[in-house]
Amino acid sequence: MNRLENELKKALERVEPPAGFAERVLARAARVGDEKPVRSRRWLELFGFGVTGMGGLRWAAACALCVVLAASGVIYERDMQRRRGEEAKDQVMLALRITGSKLQIAEQSLKELDSGGQPQQ
Amino acid sequence: MTTAAAAPATHKLDFEDLVREHERMVFSIGYHFLHNAAAAEEVAQDVFLELFKRLGTLESPEHVTHWLRRVACHRSIDYARRNKGTAAEVSWDQLPEPAQPAGHSDLGDSDPMMSKRLQQMVAALPQKMRMVVILRYQEEAGLEEIASTMGIPLNTVKSTLHRAHAMLRAKMEQKVGKEWGETRGEVNA
Amino acid sequence: MKRIGIIIALLFAVQWPAAAQDWDPGGALKKLSAKASKAIDVTLDQSMLQFAGAFLDSKDPDQAQAKKIISNMKGIYVHSFEFEKAGEYSEDDVTPLRAPLKEPLWSRIVNVRSKHEGQNVEVYFKKEDGKFTGLVVIATEPTELTFVDIIGPINPDDFRRLGGQFGIPKVEIDQDPAGKKGETK
Repeated sequence: MNRLENELKKALERVEPPAGFAERVLARAARVGDEKPVRSRRWLELFGFGVTGMGGLRWAAACALCVVLAASGVIYERDMQRRRGEEAKDQVMLALRITGSKLQIAEQSLKELDSGGQPQQ
Repeated sequence: MTTAAAAPATHKLDFEDLVREHERMVFSIGYHFLHNAAAAEEVAQDVFLELFKRLGTLESPEHVTHWLRRVACHRSIDYARRNKGTAAEVSWDQLPEPAQPAGHSDLGDSDPMMSKRLQQMVAALPQKMRMVVILRYQEEAGLEEIASTMGIPLNTVKSTLHRAHAMLRAKMEQKVGKEWGETRGEVNA
Repeated sequence: MKRIGIIIALLFAVQWPAAAQDWDPGGALKKLSAKASKAIDVTLDQSMLQFAGAFLDSKDPDQAQAKKIISNMKGIYVHSFEFEKAGEYSEDDVTPLRAPLKEPLWSRIVNVRSKHEGQNVEVYFKKEDGKFTGLVVIATEPTELTFVDIIGPINPDDFRRLGGQFGIPKVEIDQDPAGKKGETK
């Protein structure tokens, strides 16, 4: 393997997904698991009932359910987006806090130097 | 055939194991293709959700790996097409020129910026070429496996990879030096 | 002896050549992560920072300040490792993190060591075309190591505020255009 290929392997090494990724996937799957698939309802209707009359009403109910599920999908996506945003925001605040705390240690150490005590450089 | 409703407890355990086992692979395909962590997470979540729905149809761990790779590829490509022109899309012609790090007179093997440069360059390749490169070097997939994953002919994979090498090498030679052109490896399966 | 004073005026006086702002200490960090009993990793590239910025509440003083600080940043990478006991990581583990932080692009503006607490904090600034474009903090203690890499541009006023916000005392930076040297001892 030549140098370019070696460097490509290094550059394209797998990376860790953001913290909590697996939990978010599992939470989303849990929601899906709680819903009955719309398709199975349609098959039930096709085999058990006609398209007109009560069957027609059931079809209408199934269609209405599809619309509701699609809308909840949109709401769900928005909710997911908001959650991701909140997580990202938390990460930013955490990063800035950690950075600030280390700078504080530096300042404190220099203050101690100024006053003639520890720390030493 | 097991479905989510039929065997929820076992299904859930298997699914969780699969998520944890494959999350790096799926996320990384999206990340290296889209060069954007948020987009990669969105794609990766969709892929695993699809896996959850279809788990009962997959026969073996190898089948799952191949299936995940294939779906991750296609979903990443679909995402890029839907979001063409967003910040995640990097243009080959507008790639920032890779500059020598200050204080380094030549590139050693440990140049820490090389990986970042190459990631950017890969992200700027045409989509199909980009995915071939990612499958080849991130997943270390053979050429036939790449062809099967992407649903393209083997000869197309070979020629695409060959062109990708030429483009990347030329870009590196432009700025880094001729040592990138010294060894030209054959495209081997 | 002055309190913390950072040599920005002196740095302003010199024009450094522009260069790429890449940083890839991945190998060294992976090694440290493998040795640590606990690790915090925060990786926020420009797109994530922009995404997060939209969710920072302008009405909250801390968040409003954070929003301002990150508004032009290209990345914040924070890695903090805790170890079970002293001696589980060595200077050899830290050296690769410092290796690229060399003149003329990078300047170490603070290097303080607290003998009795075993703490050591180094602060590096990167300067290009008269602007601050990078900040690295390496803080080590016997059982903890923190590595912060911020890819700018960075406004020194924001840097000052960074210490003053989030419940943490301010860090003072001397910005004397006359070129008076700030002491870092």
